[in-house]
Amino acid sequence: MADGSAPAATIRLPGPLRERAGRRASVPARGATVRALILDLDQQFPGMRFQLCEETGNLRPFVNIFLESENVRDLQGLDTPVPDGGTVHILLAVAGG
Amino acid sequence: MAARRKYPKGTVMLSIGTKRGLFLLTSKDRRTWKAEGPYMVGYRVYHANLDLRNGPRLYAAANNDFFGSAVRYSDDFGRTWKEPEQGIAFAEDSGLSLKNLWIVEPGRPSEPETVYCGVDPAALFVSHDRGQTWAMNQGLENHHTRRRWEPGNGGLCLHSIVAHPDNPRRMWVAISAVGVMRTDDGGQTWKFCNKGTRADFLPDKYPEFGQCVHRLLIHPTHHDVLYQQNHCSTYVSDNSGDSWAEIRNNLPSDFGFPMAMDPQDPDTLYTIVENPEGRTNVTNQFTVYRTQNAGRRWERLTKGLPKGPTVRLGVLRHAMSTDSRDPCGVYVGTNTGQLFGSRDRGDSWRLIADFLPPIYSVTATVL
Repeated sequence: MADGSAPAATIRLPGPLRERAGRRASVPARGATVRALILDLDQQFPGMRFQLCEETGNLRPFVNIFLESENVRDLQGLDTPVPDGGTVHILLAVAGG
Repeated sequence: MAARRKYPKGTVMLSIGTKRGLFLLTSKDRRTWKAEGPYMVGYRVYHANLDLRNGPRLYAAANNDFFGSAVRYSDDFGRTWKEPEQGIAFAEDSGLSLKNLWIVEPGRPSEPETVYCGVDPAALFVSHDRGQTWAMNQGLENHHTRRRWEPGNGGLCLHSIVAHPDNPRRMWVAISAVGVMRTDDGGQTWKFCNKGTRADFLPDKYPEFGQCVHRLLIHPTHHDVLYQQNHCSTYVSDNSGDSWAEIRNNLPSDFGFPMAMDPQDPDTLYTIVENPEGRTNVTNQFTVYRTQNAGRRWERLTKGLPKGPTVRLGVLRHAMSTDSRDPCGVYVGTNTGQLFGSRDRGDSWRLIADFLPPIYSVTATVL
Protein backbone atom coordinates (compact mmCIF):
# COMPACT_ATOMS: atom_id res chain seq x y z
CA MET A 1 0.00 0.00 0.00
CA ALA A 2 0.98 3.60 -0.51
CA ASP A 3 1.83 6.14 2.16
CA GLY A 4 -0.62 5.60 5.01
CA SER A 5 -1.18 9.32 5.34
CA ALA A 6 -2.39 9.63 1.73
CA PRO A 7 -6.13 9.95 1.17
CA ALA A 8 -7.97 6.64 1.10
CA ALA A 9 -10.42 5.88 -1.66
CA THR A 10 -12.64 3.02 -2.64
CA ILE A 11 -12.02 1.65 -6.12
CA ARG A 12 -14.89 -0.05 -7.92
CA LEU A 13 -13.56 -2.53 -10.47
CA PRO A 14 -15.21 -3.79 -13.65
CA GLY A 15 -15.70 -7.53 -14.08
CA PRO A 16 -12.65 -8.21 -16.28
CA LEU A 17 -10.27 -6.70 -13.69
CA ARG A 18 -11.63 -8.45 -10.65
CA GLU A 19 -9.75 -11.69 -11.17
CA ARG A 20 -6.49 -9.80 -10.75
CA ALA A 21 -7.83 -8.34 -7.49
CA GLY A 22 -8.82 -11.62 -5.90
CA ARG A 23 -12.28 -11.54 -7.48
CA ARG A 24 -13.23 -8.47 -5.49
CA ALA A 25 -15.57 -5.87 -6.97
CA SER A 26 -14.26 -3.16 -4.70
CA VAL A 27 -10.82 -2.57 -3.21
CA PRO A 28 -9.26 0.18 -1.10
CA ALA A 29 -6.36 2.28 -2.35
CA ARG A 30 -4.45 5.32 -1.21
CA GLY A 31 -3.28 8.30 -3.22
CA ALA A 32 -3.78 12.01 -3.61
CA THR A 33 -4.51 11.77 -7.33
CA VAL A 34 -5.99 9.25 -9.73
CA ARG A 35 -2.47 8.55 -11.00
CA ALA A 36 -1.28 7.81 -7.47
CA LEU A 37 -4.25 5.52 -6.90
CA ILE A 38 -3.35 3.55 -10.03
CA LEU A 39 0.23 3.18 -8.81
CA ASP A 40 -1.06 1.92 -5.48
CA LEU A 41 -3.36 -0.52 -7.23
CA ASP A 42 -0.40 -1.77 -9.24
CA GLN A 43 1.57 -2.36 -6.06
CA GLN A 44 -1.29 -4.33 -4.59
CA PHE A 45 -2.13 -6.16 -7.81
CA PRO A 46 0.88 -6.25 -10.13
CA GLY A 47 -0.02 -5.65 -13.75
CA MET A 48 -3.06 -3.52 -13.00
CA ARG A 49 -1.40 -0.33 -14.24
CA PHE A 50 -0.61 -1.88 -17.63
CA GLN A 51 -4.24 -2.84 -17.98
CA LEU A 52 -5.36 0.72 -17.31
CA CYS A 53 -2.59 2.74 -18.97
CA GLU A 54 -0.45 2.41 -22.06
CA GLU A 55 3.33 2.36 -21.69
CA THR A 56 3.33 6.09 -22.51
CA GLY A 57 1.43 6.66 -19.29
CA ASN A 58 -1.81 7.68 -20.97
CA LEU A 59 -5.08 6.13 -19.91
CA ARG A 60 -6.13 3.43 -22.39
CA PRO A 61 -8.69 4.87 -24.82
CA PHE A 62 -11.54 2.55 -23.90
CA VAL A 63 -11.07 2.75 -20.15
CA ASN A 64 -13.06 5.37 -18.26
CA ILE A 65 -12.37 6.43 -14.71
CA PHE A 66 -15.01 8.34 -12.80
CA LEU A 67 -14.47 10.18 -9.54
CA GLU A 68 -17.90 9.87 -8.02
CA SER A 69 -20.03 10.76 -11.08
CA GLU A 70 -17.46 12.81 -13.03
CA ASN A 71 -15.29 11.37 -15.78
CA VAL A 72 -11.74 12.33 -14.85
CA ARG A 73 -11.09 13.14 -18.52
CA ASP A 74 -13.43 16.10 -17.93
CA LEU A 75 -11.51 17.08 -14.80
CA GLN A 76 -7.71 16.97 -14.66
CA GLY A 77 -7.23 13.53 -16.14
CA LEU A 78 -4.91 11.30 -14.16
CA ASP A 79 -3.85 14.34 -12.12
CA THR A 80 -7.36 14.81 -10.76
CA PRO A 81 -7.16 15.17 -6.95
CA VAL A 82 -8.99 12.50 -4.98
CA PRO A 83 -10.49 13.46 -1.62
CA ASP A 84 -10.22 11.22 1.39
CA GLY A 85 -13.13 8.81 1.38
CA GLY A 86 -13.83 9.27 -2.32
CA THR A 87 -15.14 6.56 -4.60
CA VAL A 88 -13.49 5.91 -7.94
CA HIS A 89 -15.23 3.85 -10.60
CA ILE A 90 -13.21 2.12 -13.30
CA LEU A 91 -15.48 1.34 -16.24
CA LEU A 92 -15.31 0.02 -19.75
CA ALA A 93 -16.16 2.69 -22.30
CA VAL A 94 -19.18 2.08 -24.50
CA ALA A 95 -17.21 0.99 -27.53
CA GLY A 96 -18.94 -0.21 -30.62
CA GLY A 97 -22.53 0.93 -30.44
CA MET B 1 -2.84 -27.32 -10.77
CA ALA B 2 -6.11 -28.28 -12.34
CA ALA B 3 -6.24 -31.81 -13.62
CA ARG B 4 -5.24 -32.16 -17.24
CA ARG B 5 -7.80 -33.47 -19.59
CA LYS B 6 -6.78 -36.67 -21.22
CA TYR B 7 -6.81 -37.08 -24.95
CA PRO B 8 -5.92 -40.30 -26.74
CA LYS B 9 -2.46 -40.38 -28.25
CA GLY B 10 -2.60 -39.24 -31.85
CA THR B 11 -5.49 -36.85 -31.28
CA VAL B 12 -5.29 -33.79 -33.50
CA MET B 13 -5.98 -30.56 -31.66
CA LEU B 14 -6.81 -27.41 -33.60
CA SER B 15 -6.28 -24.17 -31.72
CA ILE B 16 -8.58 -21.65 -33.37
CA GLY B 17 -7.89 -18.01 -32.56
CA THR B 18 -10.85 -15.76 -33.33
CA LYS B 19 -12.11 -12.24 -32.88
CA ARG B 20 -14.09 -13.47 -29.89
CA GLY B 21 -11.81 -15.86 -28.09
CA LEU B 22 -10.20 -19.24 -28.56
CA PHE B 23 -11.79 -22.54 -29.58
CA LEU B 24 -10.20 -25.97 -29.36
CA LEU B 25 -11.31 -28.71 -31.72
CA THR B 26 -10.12 -32.27 -31.26
CA SER B 27 -10.42 -35.42 -33.30
CA LYS B 28 -8.85 -38.83 -33.30
CA ASP B 29 -9.98 -39.83 -36.78
CA ARG B 30 -10.10 -36.31 -38.30
CA ARG B 31 -13.69 -36.98 -39.40
CA THR B 32 -15.66 -36.08 -36.29
CA TRP B 33 -14.56 -33.13 -34.25
CA LYS B 34 -15.37 -32.07 -30.74
CA ALA B 35 -15.39 -28.35 -30.03
CA GLU B 36 -14.50 -26.80 -26.67
CA GLY B 37 -14.60 -23.17 -25.70
CA PRO B 38 -14.78 -20.38 -26.39
CA TYR B 39 -12.13 -19.38 -23.93
CA MET B 40 -11.25 -15.74 -23.29
CA VAL B 41 -14.31 -14.44 -25.13
CA GLY B 42 -13.35 -10.84 -24.46
CA TYR B 43 -10.08 -11.22 -26.34
CA ARG B 44 -9.07 -11.07 -29.98
CA VAL B 45 -6.84 -14.12 -30.13
CA TYR B 46 -4.52 -13.44 -33.05
CA HIS B 47 -2.58 -16.67 -32.61
CA ALA B 48 -2.39 -19.68 -30.32
CA ASN B 49 0.11 -22.46 -30.11
CA LEU B 50 0.16 -25.67 -28.09
CA ASP B 51 3.72 -26.32 -26.96
CA LEU B 52 4.42 -29.97 -26.16
CA ARG B 53 8.14 -29.66 -25.42
CA ASN B 54 7.90 -29.53 -21.66
CA GLY B 55 4.45 -30.81 -20.88
CA PRO B 56 1.52 -29.34 -22.78
CA ARG B 57 1.24 -25.58 -22.41
CA LEU B 58 -1.15 -23.65 -24.58
CA TYR B 59 -0.06 -20.09 -25.37
CA ALA B 60 -2.42 -17.45 -26.73
CA ALA B 61 -1.60 -14.03 -28.17
CA ALA B 62 -4.59 -12.42 -26.47
CA ASN B 63 -5.54 -8.84 -27.33
CA ASN B 64 -8.17 -7.00 -25.33
CA ASP B 65 -9.78 -3.85 -26.66
CA PHE B 66 -10.04 -2.34 -23.20
CA PHE B 67 -7.17 -3.55 -21.06
CA GLY B 68 -4.31 -4.32 -23.44
CA SER B 69 -2.58 -7.47 -24.57
CA ALA B 70 -0.82 -10.39 -22.91
CA VAL B 71 0.48 -13.82 -23.84
CA ARG B 72 -1.78 -15.89 -21.64
CA TYR B 73 -1.07 -19.55 -21.06
CA SER B 74 -2.95 -22.62 -19.91
CA ASP B 75 -1.65 -25.94 -18.62
CA ASP B 76 -5.07 -27.61 -18.65
CA PHE B 77 -6.13 -27.15 -22.26
CA GLY B 78 -7.94 -23.88 -21.72
CA ARG B 79 -9.86 -24.47 -18.51
CA THR B 80 -7.76 -21.97 -16.58
CA TRP B 81 -5.43 -19.26 -17.82
CA LYS B 82 -2.49 -17.44 -16.32
CA GLU B 83 -0.84 -14.18 -17.18
CA PRO B 84 2.88 -13.42 -17.08
CA GLU B 85 4.50 -12.02 -13.97
CA GLN B 86 6.26 -9.55 -16.26
CA GLY B 87 4.33 -9.17 -19.48
CA ILE B 88 5.17 -7.80 -22.88
CA ALA B 89 5.48 -4.02 -22.85
CA PHE B 90 7.66 -1.31 -24.30
CA ALA B 91 9.89 0.81 -22.10
CA GLU B 92 8.01 3.81 -20.74
CA ASP B 93 10.53 6.23 -22.23
CA SER B 94 10.38 4.63 -25.68
CA GLY B 95 7.34 6.59 -26.79
CA LEU B 96 5.86 3.31 -28.04
CA SER B 97 2.85 1.46 -26.79
CA LEU B 98 1.81 -2.08 -27.55
CA LYS B 99 -1.03 -2.38 -30.05
CA ASN B 100 -1.39 -6.11 -30.63
CA LEU B 101 0.37 -9.40 -30.12
CA TRP B 102 0.58 -11.21 -33.46
CA ILE B 103 2.32 -14.52 -33.01
CA VAL B 104 3.61 -16.74 -30.24
CA GLU B 105 6.13 -19.41 -31.22
CA PRO B 106 7.84 -22.04 -29.10
CA GLY B 107 11.62 -21.94 -29.39
CA ARG B 108 13.97 -24.66 -30.55
CA PRO B 109 13.79 -28.21 -29.17
CA SER B 110 17.13 -27.52 -27.48
CA GLU B 111 15.65 -24.59 -25.52
CA PRO B 112 12.42 -26.01 -24.10
CA GLU B 113 11.84 -23.07 -21.75
CA THR B 114 12.06 -20.47 -24.52
CA VAL B 115 9.09 -18.86 -26.26
CA TYR B 116 9.04 -15.99 -28.77
CA CYS B 117 6.37 -13.42 -29.49
CA GLY B 118 6.03 -10.93 -32.33
CA VAL B 119 4.06 -7.73 -31.82
CA ASP B 120 2.82 -4.49 -33.34
CA PRO B 121 4.61 -2.05 -33.37
CA ALA B 122 7.22 -4.38 -34.78
CA ALA B 123 9.30 -5.95 -32.07
CA LEU B 124 10.44 -9.37 -30.98
CA PHE B 125 10.02 -10.46 -27.38
CA VAL B 126 11.50 -13.56 -25.79
CA SER B 127 10.74 -15.50 -22.65
CA HIS B 128 13.20 -18.00 -21.21
CA ASP B 129 10.87 -19.23 -18.49
CA ARG B 130 7.89 -20.54 -20.44
CA GLY B 131 6.10 -17.24 -20.68
CA GLN B 132 6.35 -15.95 -17.12
CA THR B 133 8.66 -13.05 -17.90
CA TRP B 134 9.38 -11.37 -21.23
CA ALA B 135 12.15 -9.15 -22.57
CA MET B 136 12.42 -7.22 -25.82
CA ASN B 137 15.13 -7.99 -28.36
CA GLN B 138 17.15 -4.77 -28.37
CA GLY B 139 19.08 -5.51 -31.54
CA LEU B 140 15.98 -5.41 -33.68
CA GLU B 141 14.45 -2.48 -31.86
CA ASN B 142 17.62 -0.41 -32.23
CA HIS B 143 18.10 -1.25 -35.91
CA HIS B 144 19.43 1.81 -37.70
CA THR B 145 16.48 1.83 -40.12
CA ARG B 146 13.79 1.42 -37.45
CA ARG B 147 12.41 4.95 -37.79
CA ARG B 148 11.79 4.40 -41.52
CA TRP B 149 9.66 1.28 -41.15
CA GLU B 150 6.12 1.68 -42.46
CA PRO B 151 3.07 -0.36 -41.46
CA GLY B 152 0.97 -2.53 -43.72
CA ASN B 153 -2.80 -2.54 -43.65
CA GLY B 154 -2.80 -4.69 -40.50
CA GLY B 155 -0.28 -2.53 -38.70
CA LEU B 156 3.50 -2.62 -38.29
CA CYS B 157 3.33 -6.22 -37.24
CA LEU B 158 6.05 -8.80 -36.67
CA HIS B 159 4.03 -11.84 -37.64
CA SER B 160 6.44 -14.66 -38.46
CA ILE B 161 9.27 -16.02 -36.33
CA VAL B 162 11.50 -18.80 -37.63
CA ALA B 163 14.25 -20.07 -35.35
CA HIS B 164 16.93 -22.10 -37.12
CA PRO B 165 16.40 -25.56 -35.65
CA ASP B 166 20.10 -26.34 -35.09
CA ASN B 167 21.88 -23.00 -35.01
CA PRO B 168 20.90 -21.08 -31.88
CA ARG B 169 22.44 -17.89 -33.25
CA ARG B 170 20.34 -17.78 -36.42
CA MET B 171 16.74 -16.64 -36.67
CA TRP B 172 14.47 -14.96 -39.19
CA VAL B 173 11.53 -12.65 -38.57
CA ALA B 174 9.01 -11.22 -41.03
CA ILE B 175 7.46 -7.79 -40.61
CA SER B 176 4.74 -6.08 -42.64
CA ALA B 177 5.67 -3.90 -44.43
CA VAL B 178 9.37 -4.14 -43.79
CA GLY B 179 10.29 -7.58 -45.08
CA VAL B 180 12.37 -10.49 -43.84
CA MET B 181 15.24 -9.96 -41.42
CA ARG B 182 17.84 -12.41 -40.16
CA THR B 183 20.20 -12.52 -37.23
CA ASP B 184 23.35 -14.66 -37.20
CA ASP B 185 24.58 -13.60 -33.79
CA GLY B 186 21.77 -14.54 -31.47
CA GLY B 187 19.75 -11.39 -31.99
CA GLN B 188 22.43 -8.76 -31.45
CA THR B 189 22.30 -7.56 -35.06
CA TRP B 190 19.82 -8.07 -37.89
CA LYS B 191 20.17 -7.79 -41.66
CA PHE B 192 17.55 -7.52 -44.36
CA CYS B 193 16.83 -10.57 -46.52
CA ASN B 194 14.65 -9.14 -49.28
CA LYS B 195 16.75 -9.39 -52.42
CA GLY B 196 14.54 -10.48 -55.29
CA THR B 197 11.17 -9.80 -53.62
CA ARG B 198 9.03 -7.03 -55.06
CA ALA B 199 7.30 -4.05 -53.52
CA ASP B 200 4.96 -3.01 -56.32
CA PHE B 201 3.50 -0.25 -54.15
CA LEU B 202 6.83 1.65 -53.86
CA PRO B 203 8.66 3.75 -56.46
CA ASP B 204 11.64 1.39 -56.18
CA LYS B 205 10.16 -2.06 -56.82
CA TYR B 206 13.14 -3.89 -55.32
CA PRO B 207 14.16 -1.89 -52.24
CA GLU B 208 16.45 -3.09 -49.48
CA PHE B 209 13.42 -3.11 -47.19
CA GLY B 210 9.76 -2.11 -47.32
CA GLN B 211 8.39 -5.35 -48.77
CA CYS B 212 5.05 -6.57 -47.49
CA VAL B 213 5.83 -10.16 -46.57
CA HIS B 214 2.74 -12.00 -45.35
CA ARG B 215 4.02 -15.36 -44.11
CA LEU B 216 7.41 -17.06 -43.75
CA LEU B 217 8.18 -20.81 -43.47
CA ILE B 218 11.33 -22.91 -43.22
CA HIS B 219 11.96 -26.30 -44.80
CA PRO B 220 12.00 -28.85 -41.95
CA THR B 221 15.15 -30.66 -43.09
CA HIS B 222 16.94 -28.28 -45.50
CA HIS B 223 17.31 -25.34 -43.21
CA ASP B 224 18.70 -22.99 -45.84
CA VAL B 225 15.40 -23.21 -47.71
CA LEU B 226 12.68 -20.69 -46.88
CA TYR B 227 9.32 -19.92 -48.44
CA GLN B 228 7.25 -16.79 -48.24
CA GLN B 229 3.81 -15.69 -49.32
CA ASN B 230 3.96 -12.00 -50.01
CA HIS B 231 1.71 -9.12 -50.95
CA CYS B 232 3.49 -9.28 -54.31
CA SER B 233 3.88 -12.97 -55.19
CA THR B 234 5.18 -16.23 -53.76
CA TYR B 235 8.89 -16.88 -53.26
CA VAL B 236 11.55 -19.44 -52.33
CA SER B 237 15.07 -18.91 -51.08
CA ASP B 238 17.68 -21.66 -51.09
CA ASN B 239 20.37 -19.58 -49.41
CA SER B 240 18.87 -18.67 -46.04
CA GLY B 241 17.15 -15.60 -47.39
CA ASP B 242 20.15 -13.98 -49.08
CA SER B 243 18.08 -13.94 -52.28
CA TRP B 244 14.66 -15.07 -53.42
CA ALA B 245 13.17 -16.54 -56.58
CA GLU B 246 9.54 -16.16 -57.58
CA ILE B 247 7.45 -19.35 -57.58
CA ARG B 248 4.08 -17.90 -58.43
CA ASN B 249 4.10 -19.65 -61.81
CA ASN B 250 0.47 -20.64 -62.58
CA LEU B 251 -1.10 -19.17 -59.42
CA PRO B 252 -3.92 -16.82 -60.49
CA SER B 253 -2.89 -13.94 -58.22
CA ASP B 254 0.20 -12.40 -56.65
CA PHE B 255 -1.68 -11.65 -53.47
CA GLY B 256 -2.19 -14.08 -50.62
CA PHE B 257 -1.69 -14.40 -46.91
CA PRO B 258 -1.33 -17.95 -45.56
CA MET B 259 1.13 -20.69 -46.38
CA ALA B 260 1.61 -24.18 -44.96
CA MET B 261 3.72 -27.24 -45.65
CA ASP B 262 3.30 -31.01 -45.58
CA PRO B 263 5.89 -32.04 -42.99
CA GLN B 264 6.02 -35.54 -44.51
CA ASP B 265 6.86 -34.09 -47.92
CA PRO B 266 8.23 -30.55 -47.62
CA ASP B 267 8.14 -29.99 -51.37
CA THR B 268 4.39 -29.92 -50.89
CA LEU B 269 3.16 -26.44 -50.00
CA TYR B 270 -0.28 -24.95 -49.63
CA THR B 271 -1.35 -21.38 -50.14
CA ILE B 272 -4.49 -19.38 -50.81
CA VAL B 273 -4.24 -16.46 -53.19
CA GLU B 274 -6.91 -13.83 -53.44
CA ASN B 275 -8.25 -10.95 -55.41
CA PRO B 276 -6.10 -8.15 -53.96
CA GLU B 277 -8.92 -5.61 -53.94
CA GLY B 278 -11.62 -7.79 -52.41
CA ARG B 279 -9.23 -10.03 -50.48
CA THR B 280 -11.37 -13.07 -51.23
CA ASN B 281 -11.26 -16.00 -53.66
CA VAL B 282 -10.30 -15.01 -57.20
CA THR B 283 -13.21 -16.78 -58.92
CA ASN B 284 -16.56 -18.06 -57.66
CA GLN B 285 -14.79 -21.22 -56.46
CA PHE B 286 -13.10 -21.05 -53.08
CA THR B 287 -9.77 -22.74 -53.77
CA VAL B 288 -6.74 -23.96 -51.89
CA TYR B 289 -3.61 -24.21 -54.03
CA ARG B 290 -1.04 -26.99 -53.63
CA THR B 291 2.31 -27.60 -55.17
CA GLN B 292 4.07 -30.95 -54.90
CA ASN B 293 7.30 -29.74 -56.50
CA ALA B 294 8.24 -26.71 -54.40
CA GLY B 295 6.28 -24.23 -56.47
CA ARG B 296 7.11 -25.20 -60.04
CA ARG B 297 3.44 -25.93 -60.65
CA TRP B 298 0.34 -25.34 -58.51
CA GLU B 299 -2.81 -27.50 -58.39
CA ARG B 300 -6.28 -26.21 -57.68
CA LEU B 301 -7.88 -28.06 -54.75
CA THR B 302 -11.65 -27.63 -54.77
CA LYS B 303 -13.32 -30.94 -53.90
CA GLY B 304 -15.66 -30.21 -51.01
CA LEU B 305 -15.01 -26.47 -51.00
CA PRO B 306 -17.87 -24.04 -51.69
CA LYS B 307 -18.62 -22.47 -55.03
CA GLY B 308 -21.12 -19.90 -56.23
CA PRO B 309 -21.68 -16.27 -57.04
CA THR B 310 -22.01 -15.37 -53.37
CA VAL B 311 -18.98 -17.32 -52.17
CA ARG B 312 -16.39 -14.75 -51.16
CA LEU B 313 -14.09 -16.05 -48.46
CA GLY B 314 -10.93 -14.51 -47.07
CA VAL B 315 -8.19 -16.33 -45.20
CA LEU B 316 -5.78 -14.46 -42.94
CA ARG B 317 -2.07 -15.16 -42.67
CA HIS B 318 -2.13 -17.53 -39.69
CA ALA B 319 -5.39 -19.26 -40.57
CA MET B 320 -3.97 -22.26 -42.41
CA SER B 321 -2.13 -25.14 -40.81
CA THR B 322 -1.09 -28.74 -41.41
CA ASP B 323 -0.79 -31.58 -38.95
CA SER B 324 2.11 -34.03 -38.72
CA ARG B 325 0.16 -37.20 -39.44
CA ASP B 326 0.59 -39.19 -42.65
CA PRO B 327 -1.22 -38.38 -44.87
CA CYS B 328 -1.16 -34.88 -43.50
CA GLY B 329 -4.26 -32.97 -42.56
CA VAL B 330 -4.75 -29.43 -43.84
CA TYR B 331 -6.96 -26.89 -42.08
CA VAL B 332 -8.21 -23.52 -43.27
CA GLY B 333 -10.21 -20.93 -41.33
CA THR B 334 -11.95 -17.98 -42.96
CA ASN B 335 -12.47 -14.48 -41.69
CA THR B 336 -16.21 -15.17 -41.87
CA GLY B 337 -16.05 -18.11 -39.50
CA GLN B 338 -15.91 -21.26 -41.60
CA LEU B 339 -13.36 -23.95 -40.76
CA PHE B 340 -12.49 -26.43 -43.51
CA GLY B 341 -10.38 -29.54 -43.10
CA SER B 342 -8.79 -32.18 -45.28
CA ARG B 343 -7.48 -35.53 -44.02
CA ASP B 344 -5.92 -36.50 -47.36
CA ARG B 345 -3.35 -33.80 -48.11
CA GLY B 346 -5.95 -31.48 -49.58
CA ASP B 347 -7.44 -33.87 -52.13
CA SER B 348 -10.87 -33.47 -50.52
CA TRP B 349 -12.33 -31.12 -47.95
CA ARG B 350 -15.13 -30.95 -45.42
CA LEU B 351 -16.65 -28.13 -43.44
CA ILE B 352 -15.56 -28.89 -39.87
CA ALA B 353 -17.31 -25.94 -38.21
CA ASP B 354 -19.34 -22.93 -39.24
CA PHE B 355 -20.59 -19.71 -37.67
CA LEU B 356 -17.43 -19.18 -35.70
CA PRO B 357 -16.35 -15.59 -35.09
CA PRO B 358 -13.89 -14.31 -37.69
CA ILE B 359 -10.94 -16.71 -37.62
CA TYR B 360 -7.50 -15.21 -37.16
CA SER B 361 -5.43 -18.36 -36.71
CA VAL B 362 -5.48 -22.12 -36.98
CA THR B 363 -2.74 -24.23 -35.43
CA ALA B 364 -2.77 -28.03 -35.63
CA THR B 365 -0.96 -30.16 -33.06
CA VAL B 366 -0.85 -33.94 -32.77
CA LEU B 367 -1.02 -34.98 -29.12
